[in-house]
Amino acid sequence: MVGVLVLDIVTTAAILFAVATGLMIILGVMKLINFAHGAFLTIGGYAAYVATSLGWNPWLAIPFAALVGFLLGVIVEHVIVRPLYARPLDAILATWGLGIIIGQLITIGFGRQVQFVESPISGAIDFLGQSYSLYRLVLVVLALAMGAALTALLYFTRFGLNARAVIMNEDLARGLGIDSTKVRLLTFGLGAALASMAGALITPLISVDPNLGLPWLVNSFMLVLVSGVSIPGLMVAALILGGAQVIVSTYFSAILGGLTIVVIAAVILRVRPQGLTSG
Amino acid sequence: MAERARPAAGAGRSPVLKRRSDLGIVLKVGALALVVLGAAPFFLDIYSVNILIRALFLAALALTVDLLWGYTGILTFGQSAFFGIGAYACALVFTHWGFGAGWAVLALALGIVAAMAVAALAGWLAFYHGASPLYGSIVTLALPIVLTQVVFAGGRTTGSSSGLSGFPTYYWTIEIWFWVAGAFLVVVTGLAWLFVRSDMGRILVAIKENETRCAYLGIPVPRIKILLFVVAGGIGAIAGFGYAAFTNVVAPELTGFLLGTELLIWVALGGRGTLIGPVMGAILIDVTSSYLSGGLPFYWKLLVGILFVVVIVALPQGLMPVVANRWRRLVRSAENEAETPVLEVASPRDRAHDEEQPLDVRNVHRNFGSLQVLQGIDFIANKGELLSLVGPNGAGKTTLIRCLADGHERSGGDIAIYGQALGRWPPDRCVALGIGRKFQAANVFATLTVAECLRVARYRLDRPSVWARKSVLALPEAALRIVEETGLAKTLEVEARQLAHGQKQALELAMVLALEPSIVLLDEPTAGLTRVERERIGAILTSLTERERLSILLVEHDLDFVREISSRVIVLHQGRIVLDGSVEDVVGSDLVRQIYSGGVYGERSEES
Amino acid sequence: MNAPTIRLGISGLTSGYGEAIVVRGVNISVAPGEIVALLGKNGMGKSTLLKTVMGFLTARSGRIMLDGSDITGVPPHRIARQAVAYTPQEQAIFQDLTVGDNLRLGQPEAAWFDEELARIGQVFPFLLERLGQRAGTLSGGEQKMLLIARALMARPRLMLVDEITEGLQPSIIERLANALVAERKRTGVSMLLVEQNIRFALDVADRWTVLKVGEIDDEGDSADQDAAARIAGHLLV
Repeated sequence: MVGVLVLDIVTTAAILFAVATGLMIILGVMKLINFAHGAFLTIGGYAAYVATSLGWNPWLAIPFAALVGFLLGVIVEHVIVRPLYARPLDAILATWGLGIIIGQLITIGFGRQVQFVESPISGAIDFLGQSYSLYRLVLVVLALAMGAALTALLYFTRFGLNARAVIMNEDLARGLGIDSTKVRLLTFGLGAALASMAGALITPLISVDPNLGLPWLVNSFMLVLVSGVSIPGLMVAALILGGAQVIVSTYFSAILGGLTIVVIAAVILRVRPQGLTSG
Repeated sequence: MAERARPAAGAGRSPVLKRRSDLGIVLKVGALALVVLGAAPFFLDIYSVNILIRALFLAALALTVDLLWGYTGILTFGQSAFFGIGAYACALVFTHWGFGAGWAVLALALGIVAAMAVAALAGWLAFYHGASPLYGSIVTLALPIVLTQVVFAGGRTTGSSSGLSGFPTYYWTIEIWFWVAGAFLVVVTGLAWLFVRSDMGRILVAIKENETRCAYLGIPVPRIKILLFVVAGGIGAIAGFGYAAFTNVVAPELTGFLLGTELLIWVALGGRGTLIGPVMGAILIDVTSSYLSGGLPFYWKLLVGILFVVVIVALPQGLMPVVANRWRRLVRSAENEAETPVLEVASPRDRAHDEEQPLDVRNVHRNFGSLQVLQGIDFIANKGELLSLVGPNGAGKTTLIRCLADGHERSGGDIAIYGQALGRWPPDRCVALGIGRKFQAANVFATLTVAECLRVARYRLDRPSVWARKSVLALPEAALRIVEETGLAKTLEVEARQLAHGQKQALELAMVLALEPSIVLLDEPTAGLTRVERERIGAILTSLTERERLSILLVEHDLDFVREISSRVIVLHQGRIVLDGSVEDVVGSDLVRQIYSGGVYGERSEES
Repeated sequence: MNAPTIRLGISGLTSGYGEAIVVRGVNISVAPGEIVALLGKNGMGKSTLLKTVMGFLTARSGRIMLDGSDITGVPPHRIARQAVAYTPQEQAIFQDLTVGDNLRLGQPEAAWFDEELARIGQVFPFLLERLGQRAGTLSGGEQKMLLIARALMARPRLMLVDEITEGLQPSIIERLANALVAERKRTGVSMLLVEQNIRFALDVADRWTVLKVGEIDDEGDSADQDAAARIAGHLLV
């Protein structure tokens, strides 16, 4: 039983990590909480649905979702987010409004019913006598790959260096010739792409409907605030808080489990407002 | 023109203050509204009345959101939680315990008490000195989420996801319910209107504008926010109670995050900070949504979403700009009519501790991790002393000022003001001990008038009314002098953001002096001032030390200014005091010369 | 061929923060290959002037010309890409990035990084040994040298240097002075140095200007006999 519990914790953490990375880089570079994050997750889910309906290989759904997310993100940053650079609380509201718009457009386009997306890998494997979903395990690998790819982008490319410079000190970066506006634009696009990709990754597990992203929104953003802007930090936070959620859900009640992340995060932030990893 | 009134000689207290309030306006408009509401049900069909009753309860809830967000700047997603608490209190008591007048009162009381308790807890969590506004919003976000889950977890008791319905309730006629809801809304709106127009209402706006400045004016910002949150929670609970009693159904949606965000949308579209706007916005949008719920709900929601985003991005005033602007002009002109307060001298507060040392700093240090910004800071300040703090950039001057004004700032050491330890008190308590801090950049309340800014500064000594505006503005002698000499007395009704830079600096100084501080801390008071303005500030500061015997500590780079007006100079370098003496001592010192210019041409300075 | 005789031309520049006017109607010109020192006490507007030239602050009035083209109001990153290197007085390096990354960021195009790194390594050899080290772990003097190295590696035609000598030991100040003078000789880069260290200013610069309460109060050549005395009169108490 403990074995399954551990697997649950690890896979839940992986899912949380994948879902939250997009939010984290937007927060890091742009100092902004993107409340449309849930909507981008949903878009990713529907992109996957469209891809599989068109008969494509289910694995292709993932990059397709990322592309759709990126394009949309770039447009959104330009039109809605850029004017609100100096008003962070208003930016939360505007991105929430955007989320509503996206949600309604999806409903109008696809209808309210729940859709099912084919999983790229189905079946289960035997683990210590229990059978465990193979796809969930694959997700752990994919989440780690996402983390690795993002780290490579940030630490081995010029764009990544520019982005880190902007995260640390935007004015200094500008004074050195970095067009911080372009960095912000691309970062938002990247964050939206990551969210969409995560949406596509999780739909085989939870099915697709216009409100897919909502429950993940609050959990992601609590995670990101607790972890600070750091990829390893996010992994740790996902493990700790995700683990807590799994334990509470398993041993107490699933409903209380849904609350765990939010409550624990609120308490942690009260005690250490800068999050777990900074300083 | 403002007049100055002096209290009669020998009078120990200010004369009885007249209060102007909008009570008359509120009563008239309220009566009119009640009449309209009274007649309305007879002209509308039952379906509309039904929808309107719900909208009226929700409008009252939207009003509380406007008070918190539009006026005080607290972005709250959580008012739906309190609405839900009130609703579920009603449903739970009536379903599981009993029904009747006594039970109804009990249920209402329970709902209110529970909501207020939750609000107090959430407020304590969210609104502490130094909390970021984002964190506050997060806590208010967590509230409805937690509450919804609690309802789900309640199983049969709370009806879980299906909710409770069909419980015994007051099956009054629809007209009576309409009048009940309408009267509730009118009363709440009326009271809220009086409140936001009162002097206390200006404090809320000041908090939204510049919370830091409020803290340094001695205003207990966290306490005020928590109190407001608790009251808003209570009102929300009553609205929820009424809603549940009328509709006879409760469901988790009533406590949820989505309703919480709907409220924000209504307030934003209606016009935040106008009270009437959100009420009208809530009613209009909710009614329209209900009508369209059969037809094309998604297009409607899409439209609302688009409008919301447009409003947030481009029209922070809301979608009723015509109404909102006309409204604002009405409000402002009503205020301007003979509402300029009369300036008056305030009788000085008791200074019992006159014999003690004004400022005693011992071994204060401040580190950021391993970086030592201040070390071994030891000095005293006497009454009537004008002490200048000089030193190169990065020497720690502003950090020292911060340590004196905020008990949390220093890493160690002791500071005593007139014998009382500063301890770990937050800025508003340091003001109570006698510290007045003026910031380097003119730090006033942009949308408040000069008179209102000064009145906010008097919060601690002249508690503002929660329902009226005092017609007299009593300021201490020193502040009054500044106001008159710099011409601010002629601009009492001008919004602070329209003042020239020099005037803003003068206003901030007057506000600090309005606190009747014993010690005034100034950070580069001459920055950006013209030569004339510099001379004037110099004369003002000198007279403050001579006439009022204040201790003044100022950080300055302009060494000419320092030389002219200081009675003592302290030189800081790399976090330590290197010299503490008279002006002549410092001016002639070689050490100072070296520190400032890194070696004069022709001299070989030794490697340190 | 008409070579511009003025590399940096500041005319009638007025700027400040909010409503405070800190720089009032200032005129300064720097010829190609010339080093001009801008001196003055704290709070007199020197840093504000540099920030305005670099585009961080909007000029209320006046013009800034760079080799004949108008750069008034151009955003900072575009000015930097026109071979202008700005070393701010505070928060000038990325403390949490490595020395190597800090140097790399000095150049928008990484094209000549290795070449320039080798060259700078001869001026400040210690940098080559510490490329992988976090910049925040360097000493104060080393950080300033990193700052100048970064600026030099950008192959600038104009350098705006804000109080580089502040808080440094005389030996390091001397090294910096030599580096700047050598660079000017090698490439003909122009420099506008904001300073409070009179000796350094007169050793390095060709001409000097004193800023007082936002206005030019005095100017002259470094070669003047009474230069130091005059400047000292303005700077000290």
